[in-house]
Amino acid sequence: MKRLFLMLICALMASASLSAQTLPDIRLENGDSKEIAIRSLVGTKPLIICFWSTTCKPCIQELAAINDQLADWRTEADFDVIAVSVDDVRTSARAKAFAKAQGWDMICLFDANQQLKRAMNVSLTPHSFVVGKTGNIVYSHTGYTPGSEQALLDKVIKLSGTAAKTAKTKR
Amino acid sequence: MKRHLLCAIALFVASATATAQIQLGEKGGSLSGSIESNSIIYLNDKGLSTPAPEGYFGSNNYLKVDYTNGRFSAGLQFDIYSPALQGYEIGEYLAGAKFKRIAYPMKYFKWQDKNYSVMLGDIFDQFGNGLILRTFEDRQLGFNNSIEGLRATYNFNRYLAIKVLYGRPRLYNTYAGSWSGGADLSVSLGDIIGFKQGGLYLEASYVNRYEGLYKQADADLVGRGMTSPLLNMASGRLNFDIAGLTFRSEYVYKGKDLSTAAASEAKRGQAAYAELGYSYKRFSFSATARMLDNMGTLISLYGTGTGNALNYLPALTRQYTYMLANLNPYQVNAEGEFGGQADVYYTYRSKSDRYRYWNFHANYSTYYTLHKAQSKSGQRERLWQDINFDIERQWSKRLKTTILYSFQEWNPYHGYHHRTYVSNIFVADVQYKFDRKKSLRVEAQYLLSGEYEGDWVAALVEFNLAPHWSIYASDMYNIGRDGLGTKKNYYNAGFSYTYNRTRIQLSYGRNRAGYICSGGVCRYQPEYTGFNLAITSSF
Repeated sequence: MKRLFLMLICALMASASLSAQTLPDIRLENGDSKEIAIRSLVGTKPLIICFWSTTCKPCIQELAAINDQLADWRTEADFDVIAVSVDDVRTSARAKAFAKAQGWDMICLFDANQQLKRAMNVSLTPHSFVVGKTGNIVYSHTGYTPGSEQALLDKVIKLSGTAAKTAKTKR
Repeated sequence: MKRHLLCAIALFVASATATAQIQLGEKGGSLSGSIESNSIIYLNDKGLSTPAPEGYFGSNNYLKVDYTNGRFSAGLQFDIYSPALQGYEIGEYLAGAKFKRIAYPMKYFKWQDKNYSVMLGDIFDQFGNGLILRTFEDRQLGFNNSIEGLRATYNFNRYLAIKVLYGRPRLYNTYAGSWSGGADLSVSLGDIIGFKQGGLYLEASYVNRYEGLYKQADADLVGRGMTSPLLNMASGRLNFDIAGLTFRSEYVYKGKDLSTAAASEAKRGQAAYAELGYSYKRFSFSATARMLDNMGTLISLYGTGTGNALNYLPALTRQYTYMLANLNPYQVNAEGEFGGQADVYYTYRSKSDRYRYWNFHANYSTYYTLHKAQSKSGQRERLWQDINFDIERQWSKRLKTTILYSFQEWNPYHGYHHRTYVSNIFVADVQYKFDRKKSLRVEAQYLLSGEYEGDWVAALVEFNLAPHWSIYASDMYNIGRDGLGTKKNYYNAGFSYTYNRTRIQLSYGRNRAGYICSGGVCRYQPEYTGFNLAITSSF
């Protein structure tokens, strides 16, 4: 057992100098029951992906906070927000109704058997990611405290800035 | 215990430094993963009737590592218990196993192409609404019923999707002695006939389970009516969406089977499910109805525990985030129940200030016994009823308030006796943001009841310092009424620290005995007092 723990620790310590994870190839349902490959949303602009459920109060707080500030944020950077519900059959119908009534200016997807959640190694919700134009994950955080959504915008602005700089250099 | 705590701290330190995945060169693929650790130091508490478990320590730990290279991916997961936390049924399985601290590792190899995929290893999947098959993992419950085997999927444009799988299901730390397989087909009639205004789908599934009937003579499966080692289940579904309206339906047929490990007689089963949704601007409506008739399906006829389930039969009721509203959750009666629930949402936003809005929500759910034989009276008895609403008001950028009321009625005898307990639950929740980083949230709750344990009162205070710190304290006290109740006090205080993908939470408190429910599965959690350390991280 001790040896196993040591192996795990070594494996983790070895991962200290790391680069970006990429978005897995998973298909999810949208609010109209149509399947969408999550990777098909990558390409034109950075993405903020937020995992949430109807039974996760901080998740809803985070999405509401993002939605309230979205109009201001979009004056600073061009990006999309994807809200991925991990509600299973028990609450998936409620999640769809809730998301529609909230009128979130986001792409809402439904991960009823938590395939994407598992593939992206999300242990707890809320868990949010910032994904670059090539599908690489450049930032993520777990949990939510009011105000921590600002870090997502900061990363997206940084990404947009880098993209703009790269475009200028190419010219 | 000291060694385990050191390990947990080392895991945290190591994972905190792991800010993203390991890139193995340009074409070498990449590694990613996650760590989750939940440890409790149990203390003897004279105020509780349950003694602390032997060793005064429990720890559930999960390490998952994934490798991805283009269309290929593979992964490993280790579940380590040092030992299992009190109340987790896997602890009973591990006690009789060769390896008492580690479950059989999970692994997979997957090739995902544009239109097809092949996977070998431990499979998580769901057919339809999960009424005949859902394999999933829920660490809160210590539940994992993945199937170790082979799965193949194929999509023909948008017209058709098919998947087949076969293998042996996991039963807690090891694999059950049974084999399961099945196929799922979805045909998009809407795309075939060119119906562009919405979607129209016709779907069907088949699942079987094979297990010998003579492994244990004392189980007497044949004497209880099992006539074949092969169990067949099939379902048909019709789903459509058009202009904000959604309809889903499913009917299930199940062959002769023992619905629970203790069932005295094998019976045929059936289930029906319907879901209706409608939305228009900021108004939305959703309703689900379901009938279950002997639908409990065991992974193994010789196994025990709530994790011994091949299908998924969740309680279709409201799941609350408030302590007192969740004291007595509804538990599904798979041998026979019918009922449903409905939700209505409406949001009103100020046109001049987007930080000012109202959210209205109402929900109703009710369930009854299905068979007359389920009750002593021979009549259909009410199992559950919940009438509730909540109103959320965002007053300004800083202040948000929520009030909630719930009228709950539940039958403690699963319908056998004509007796229900009624609770009226009131909640007020206030959140105030001092500035961009500091915020305070306060909850006050009261449960009013002349039955069972009488009245309860609860409160929670939470102070957040974004983006890293959160400190909280809560208390739940049973006031009782007219000689009823325990007068026990349940307190809890703790803090959490979050750094990007890593979160550590340390708390201390006295926890009430009760059912921990997640989805449709409920696990009995004995009461305990102690320190709890929870760590999650991913890389």
